[in-house]
Amino acid sequence: MELYNKSAHELSSMLEKKEISSLELTESVFKRIDEKEPEIEAYITLSKDKAIETAKKIDEKRVKGKTLSNIAGIPTGIKDNIVTKNLPTTCASKMLYNFVPPYNATVMDKLESAGVIVTGKLNMDEFAMGSSTENSYFKKTKNPCDITRVPGGSSGGSAAAVAAGECIFALGSDTGGSIRQPASYCGIVGLKPTYSSVSRYGLIAFASSLDQIGPMAKNTKDVAMLYDAICGYDSMDSTSANRSYHNHFNAIENNVKGLRIGIPKEYFGDGVNPLIKEKVLAAAKLYEQNGATLIDISLPSTEYALSAYYIISSAEASSNLARFDGVKYGYRSENYSTLAEMYEMTRSEGFGAEVKRRIMLGTFVLSSGYFDAYYKRGKLLQNMITDEFNEAFKKCDVILTPTSPNTAFKIGEKVGNPLEMYASDICTVTVNIAGLPAISLPCGFDNENLPIGMQLIAPKFGEQVLFNTANSYEEIVG
Amino acid sequence: MKIDIKHLAKLSNLRFEESEAEKLEREMGDIIGMVEKMPDISVTDLKPDPNNRMILREDEVKSSLPRTEMLKNVPQSQAGCIVVPKVVE
Repeated sequence: MELYNKSAHELSSMLEKKEISSLELTESVFKRIDEKEPEIEAYITLSKDKAIETAKKIDEKRVKGKTLSNIAGIPTGIKDNIVTKNLPTTCASKMLYNFVPPYNATVMDKLESAGVIVTGKLNMDEFAMGSSTENSYFKKTKNPCDITRVPGGSSGGSAAAVAAGECIFALGSDTGGSIRQPASYCGIVGLKPTYSSVSRYGLIAFASSLDQIGPMAKNTKDVAMLYDAICGYDSMDSTSANRSYHNHFNAIENNVKGLRIGIPKEYFGDGVNPLIKEKVLAAAKLYEQNGATLIDISLPSTEYALSAYYIISSAEASSNLARFDGVKYGYRSENYSTLAEMYEMTRSEGFGAEVKRRIMLGTFVLSSGYFDAYYKRGKLLQNMITDEFNEAFKKCDVILTPTSPNTAFKIGEKVGNPLEMYASDICTVTVNIAGLPAISLPCGFDNENLPIGMQLIAPKFGEQVLFNTANSYEEIVG
Repeated sequence: MKIDIKHLAKLSNLRFEESEAEKLEREMGDIIGMVEKMPDISVTDLKPDPNNRMILREDEVKSSLPRTEMLKNVPQSQAGCIVVPKVVE
C-alpha cells in the first residue's frame, strides 16, 4: 500500500519507529497530488517547498532523539478560511484573492508546534456558504468517488483531498454541517467539535456563534488525534471554554455494552432517502447486537431548525462581512470616485451571488421592524432546540441520525435552487444551533456506490463518547 | 410580503442590476416564506447562558504587528498610510 493511503495513526507509529521518514511520506503525498489534482481540484494553494523543508526538519529532530508529538511529520491540508502566516488565505473569494495573512490562526500555531506538514490550502464554498463547494470563486472540486458529482460543502476541498489521498488528514470548519456533510459525501470521517472547544481565532468568521473548526480523516482514530492537537482554551477567542482536556486518542475504548443510543424519529422522515434510513438503522441494529440499547426519542423542534439556522447565520454573516470594504486588505474595485462608491463597488464585484444573498437576508432580519419577527424568534427557537437536546440526553448517551438526507448530487444539479441546496443540511444544523459535538462516519453505499454517512451526536464536551462509539462501529464492520 | 431590495442593498453597501434585483427578490421571498413557518413561542426573554460567560482579556499593553507587515496587504498606500478617496473638502 502506498504511504498516502495509510491512516495517520499507522503512519505515526511508522514514523516513530523510523520505518519511514516524514520526507518520504511528504513526497508520496505530493506525488499523489500531482496525479490526482488535475481531476479533483481540491487545493486552491499548494505549499510544496515549505512542506518538504518542514519534513526535513522534523526528520532531523527525530534522528537526534527529540520527543515529538504523535502527529509530527504528517501531511495535513487546511481549509482556506483558516489564516496561515505567509501562505495565501482566500476564503475561496475574489474578495481575498490576494490576501497573505501576517499572522497564524491559533489552530495553526498549535499544529506548527506539533510539527505537522502543511500541504496547502483547500477549496471551499465562498466564505463557507454552501453545501457543494460550487460557490468557490476559483474552481469546482470533484468528488473522488464519482467525479461528475460534488464533494459536498462547504469543506468540500478538505473532504475530497482526504478521500483522494492528497493529504493524510485535514482541517475543515462547520457552521451548519460543513464538515459532516462533505465527509459523508466523500466517505470519510469528520468531527464538528463542541462549540468553544477549538479556538476560532484566525478562522475567518461566517456566523460566530455557530462556527467551529474541526478535523477530517479516513477514520475515527485519526480524527481523534487531530482533535487532541487543536482543542483547548485560548484567550484570543472570547467564547473559548476555560477548561482542560484529556487525551482522547489514548482513551478510545471499543465497547458499546450498556451504551444508550437515542434514535430521534424526526431525522428519519419523508425527506430522507429510504436507503439512507435503512443503512443507518442497520448500523443501529449492529450496535444493539453488540450490547447497546436503542431508545426511541423525539426532538419535535427539528422541523424549524433550518429556519432558525438561516436567520441566525445570515444575521451574523451580514455583520461579520461588513469588514470587507477594500480599505485595508483584499480586493479593491477600480470603478469609483467617492469613498461610499468604493465600498459599494468593491463589495458588489468582490462577493459572489450566494454571499450577497445571505448578507441581504441577514440585513433584512436585523432591520428595524423585522427584528422581533425574525431574529428574536430565531434565537428563542435556538433555546427551545437546545432544551430538547438536554432533555433527550437524560434518556440516552448518544444520538444516531443520518448525516445528510441524500448522497452526493451531480455538479450543477442544485445550483439554481437555494432552498433545495439548503435542505441538504437538515440533519446537521440542529447540532450547531445547540453547540453540541457530532461526528459523521461512513455506514455503507447507495445503489450507485456512493457513500452514505451516519451522524452521532453527544452532549457538550462528549467527544470521547463519539470517538468510542464511532470507532467501535469501524471495528465491528472491519 | 414586499421586500425592499433597494433599501436593503443600500444598508448592505451592495449594488444590484435591475435583473439581478428581481431574481434576488424572488429568491429571498422563498427563503423568508420558509422562515415564516417558525412557531410562535410564549417565552419572550433571551438570557445569556450562565454556563458560558464571556471571558475578556486583561487590558494590557502587548506588542503588535509592525506597520510594514500590516501595510503589505493594503490595496493602496503612501508614506506609511492607507490611501482612500478624499472624504473632507
